[in-house]
Amino acid sequence: MLYIMYSAANTLYGILKDHLGAVGVPDAAITIAAYAVPCFVVLGLTSMIAGMLTYLERKISADIQNRVGPNRVGPWGLLQFPADGIKLLLKEDIIPDAADKKLFKLAPYLVYSSTVLASLVIPFGGSFIVADLNIGLIFIIVVSSLLVVGFLMSGWASNNKWALLGGIRSAAQIISYEIPTALTLLTVVLIAGTFSMQEIVMAQGPWPWQWFVFHNPFTVVAFIIFFVSSLAEMNRTPFDFPEAESELVSGYNVEYSGMRFALFFAAEFSSIFITASLAAAVFLGGGNIGRDPYASGIGWQLVMVGVFFAKTVPLCLVTIWVRWTLPRLRIDQMMAMCWKYFIPISFACLVSTAVWMLAFDGNGIFWRMPKP
Amino acid sequence: MNAVARYFRNIGDAVATTLTGMRITLRYWVKEPAITVEYPDRLGAGRTARDLVAERFRGFLQVRLNSCIGCLQCMRTCPINCIRIVVDKRPEGRMLSRFDVNQAKCMYCGLCVEVCPTEAIVFTKRFEGACYDIRDLRVRHVTSPVPVAQLQRKEQP
Repeated sequence: MLYIMYSAANTLYGILKDHLGAVGVPDAAITIAAYAVPCFVVLGLTSMIAGMLTYLERKISADIQNRVGPNRVGPWGLLQFPADGIKLLLKEDIIPDAADKKLFKLAPYLVYSSTVLASLVIPFGGSFIVADLNIGLIFIIVVSSLLVVGFLMSGWASNNKWALLGGIRSAAQIISYEIPTALTLLTVVLIAGTFSMQEIVMAQGPWPWQWFVFHNPFTVVAFIIFFVSSLAEMNRTPFDFPEAESELVSGYNVEYSGMRFALFFAAEFSSIFITASLAAAVFLGGGNIGRDPYASGIGWQLVMVGVFFAKTVPLCLVTIWVRWTLPRLRIDQMMAMCWKYFIPISFACLVSTAVWMLAFDGNGIFWRMPKP
Repeated sequence: MNAVARYFRNIGDAVATTLTGMRITLRYWVKEPAITVEYPDRLGAGRTARDLVAERFRGFLQVRLNSCIGCLQCMRTCPINCIRIVVDKRPEGRMLSRFDVNQAKCMYCGLCVEVCPTEAIVFTKRFEGACYDIRDLRVRHVTSPVPVAQLQRKEQP
């Protein structure tokens, strides 16, 4: 199982090789096509989900604040997000005179590509994964650091004090909170013994007690720390310091307008989905229904996709719910929370899980280590 | 030891207060209905814009010509001269030939309403004054000359 890397790209490569390879299309072209097509599908999917999340965010915030929310465009306002997208497309694209034009134009794409790159290794249930890298989890952690580069770049290139402050804050915040995120993900890697996302999902079971979150008491804590610190990593309230509407106007994206702003916005909302799906896949069993995803028919695979989304969507809703509950922390509180609480606790979780694995021969409370 | 205890109490406090807040927002999310009034077009069955305003609301001025005695007190008391009245003396008596209220200028102070001895000028609940030309807000209450109302003698005891 170790060296078999099943993925949508591999399947597509096989199909294309059978049909086009016979006609004499070069192998390199088939490889590029086999990877490009799933990438664009996932790009479209995450953008659509980001759009729907903006609708959900506005609707839920309205419910929480006794308001109505968007309800004019389409039934129940469901078409609000395409309308917003079209509006942003039609807006004038303004680049300030004093801005560093090249960096200013590049920054939104970096921010957006970081979230889209992370979505490439997310197992959507069944065999639906663009690339099942054997370093999938590390890949996610690495590409989410790209976000900082984009934020700092946009803050610096805007030549605006608010934007620069937002960029600097995001650098401090995201770099700090990456440590607890990575450490909590490492606790799962200890149990599963692999970095591949699909294998982590397959190592878990369909029932809650077979999920890694309930493997031992420390993984529960690790899951909570992972969820909160990933809130910080994607700049959601109560950790939205880079944006901080009331202090920094809108932070790093003050000077952006039109579609460039929309890219920042879409990146923010698709990162909610990416984080929720990461949590669902790593801690909550992903789309595992107790069947081998590669041996099952398409019907079972679609059930797996349904199970995956049934776990991801509630996590997205919790993210939104937290935003409309808690006010923004003070910046020193945010740093103290990370360095004094999250990092020591997540490190303790990692070590305790390691000791647990040694003491109980890898078995969890209910989870059993598979026999080699 | 004190510092250690404080460390763990901080964690407990953070979790407890977050959960309290999230329970409150969950209640508002799930249970509490919206209180928004969707003003122009979705006010609910049978409700109109005039039902939204309070009792004794100061809306557009209305003139009851059958009780106006043409005393011009409202015109004189108006601080911004938005009322213009012309009373003609004719053989058949005094005639109101003009009674304009410029609602664009009116500041809804209510002095004219208070000063009117016969309650001929009153507030209505109408508040929607949007129009394409500001001159449309000069409301002409008299289109053709009408005789003023006669003062009525009080009943002798």
